[in-house]
Amino acid sequence: MNKPRPAHIDMVANTKLALQDADLQGALNHALVRFRRLRTDAAAEVPEWEALRDLAGEIKAHALARLDVHLTQLESRIAALGGTVHWASDAVEARRIIADLVRTRGVRRVVKSKSMTTEEIHLNRALEAAGVAVVETDLGEYVLQLAGEPPSHIIAPTIHKSVAAVSRLFSEKLGAPPLDDPEDLNRVARKALRTEFLAADMGITGVNFAIAETGTLVVVENEGNARLATTRPRIHVAVMGIEKVLPRLADLGVLLRVLARSATGQRASVYVSMITGPRRTGEADGPEELHLLILDNGRTRLLADPDLRDSLRCVRCGACLNVCPVYERAGGHAYESVYSGPIGSVITPVLEGLPRAGDLPFASTLCGACAEVCPVKIDLPRMLLELRARAVRAGVIGWVDRLFARGWTFAMSGPARLRVVAGLGRLVQRLLVRRGRIERLPYPFAGWTAHRTAPPLAAQAFRDWWRSR
Amino acid sequence: MSRDQVLGRVRAALKSAEAAPGNLMPAGPPDLPRPQAFADPLTLFAERACAVGATVDLVASMDEAARRSAAWCAARAVRRAVVWNVASLAPVRDRLQADGIEIISPLLVPVRSWVDTVAGADAGITSAEWGIAETGTLVLACGPDQPRLASLLPPAHLVVLRAGRILPDLPALFARADALPSALTLITGPSRSADIGLVPVFGAHGPMAVAILIVTG
Repeated sequence: MNKPRPAHIDMVANTKLALQDADLQGALNHALVRFRRLRTDAAAEVPEWEALRDLAGEIKAHALARLDVHLTQLESRIAALGGTVHWASDAVEARRIIADLVRTRGVRRVVKSKSMTTEEIHLNRALEAAGVAVVETDLGEYVLQLAGEPPSHIIAPTIHKSVAAVSRLFSEKLGAPPLDDPEDLNRVARKALRTEFLAADMGITGVNFAIAETGTLVVVENEGNARLATTRPRIHVAVMGIEKVLPRLADLGVLLRVLARSATGQRASVYVSMITGPRRTGEADGPEELHLLILDNGRTRLLADPDLRDSLRCVRCGACLNVCPVYERAGGHAYESVYSGPIGSVITPVLEGLPRAGDLPFASTLCGACAEVCPVKIDLPRMLLELRARAVRAGVIGWVDRLFARGWTFAMSGPARLRVVAGLGRLVQRLLVRRGRIERLPYPFAGWTAHRTAPPLAAQAFRDWWRSR
Repeated sequence: MSRDQVLGRVRAALKSAEAAPGNLMPAGPPDLPRPQAFADPLTLFAERACAVGATVDLVASMDEAARRSAAWCAARAVRRAVVWNVASLAPVRDRLQADGIEIISPLLVPVRSWVDTVAGADAGITSAEWGIAETGTLVLACGPDQPRLASLLPPAHLVVLRAGRILPDLPALFARADALPSALTLITGPSRSADIGLVPVFGAHGPMAVAILIVTG
């Protein structure tokens, strides 16, 4: 988790490593086949599913089109309810604001529920540096925190970890006896975390949706840890990206219906907490202080980008990861980014820059499966293509790809040129064809045939065959 | 200031000036046609709540609900129960008290020791404001007599729901909700997790069991 971040994400090298990891390949395949089936069944049950996706996408598009209005309305509603709204233009500011809250309130212990946004700003490290004990309370995130690893899937962070690996971890870190039943392992974690909840001063959560007209923060989960983190500690800090706001309560009815079905194939997640202000007079529980941190951290660059703005519709369901043939082989860690899979390959190059993340848009077969399942209808393949074009213009692709693309452009820009290049190819391939296939291409094209053979050019060109017919 | 910086960037991105007042809200989302099964919300609710691991029993009256609650507590060997202090649950409270079960009520416990007291309860008993048929979801509103932790900390949760309060789906709920409480909680089955080996397990952090009594009378 504390590894220095490399200047450039080498997706190809990372994927090669992932492909050699048989445990990872097995775990990914097992999980994703299951997730895909659950989602398909859950969507098929809703006759108006396509209309619902259209509507969900339109609601998010509308919310983005008037984002300034909705954010300021949200701010004034929360203030009127007695909450405090903070704004952070980047991760450094966000960490400073929360560190200040921790210091001025004398907070010693923090419980966190699963939040990709707080992963994005690397909050835990900052809090630990401020001398605060931070505990991740989502069961999967807790396992990863003990292991010192980042999450590898938006909604199933431990997708890469086996039961045996968790058992070893609990023995080593918690002194638990060896257990092979997930139920027993869950009980160990429940007991350890219950103690943390009862002792914590501050709960930090993400936000799935924020309702502008009512000032309501909506947190969706299955375990109950977000409910505990927003109920027990005296301070609740919610962290959200600017894109999480919805104009009206009625919009939530549409988005919640598509979110759970797309994410886990559930009809509804177990708990949806709709938090409208801090604890009120006479109430026995709930936080005395409620803070909302609204984070930009590069999102306004997406907003200003007509080709990519719709990526801010994302509700982080993870459906595009589950259907992606590249994610299924590479796994989440290969992307070296909080957001992996197709949506990560679109937003990471903008949030972190093309020099670092220029490989990611190429980590796609452009098969279009992600766009088929996206509950808010983000056109991910089109965005990936657009980012590829930008990566080429920015010069962040390698010279081999560049050479190949140049050659291709030359050959395809006129029939005479194509004839000459194809003729040359037929000559050269005589050296390479064995048993009717090209088994090995020489450097620098060896990658093409590293794991498969390539078909040779046909002895007769199609147009010659056509003419002689 | 960061606020002005962030909003400035948002506005620059949208090329929009300060919004004209009166143009804040677009019309609500259209009502989509609903499946046939939603015509019988009670049956659908019962079926779908059971599908997520809750138990559902139909009772004709609040008196019968009180008897069933007592039997449920006896079967689980409940000695201390935290019960919402709402009028509709008075028969349940009286019956359990008569059976010698210690009733924890938010009115009688000092706020300081509230959490520890609830954490020591064997069961939480609440009413539900609404039920959602499509998903088998319970809608709980918190308040001074309706503490949040009652449905969260104890290992088992018993909920009393009136049949007439079952709505077809979430859009129907949000069309009705006006003044929101500090916490409105939607609960669909017992707490669960599949984070270890993808095996679904009940009782991740919240209750392992959710029992629903639907009062039809």
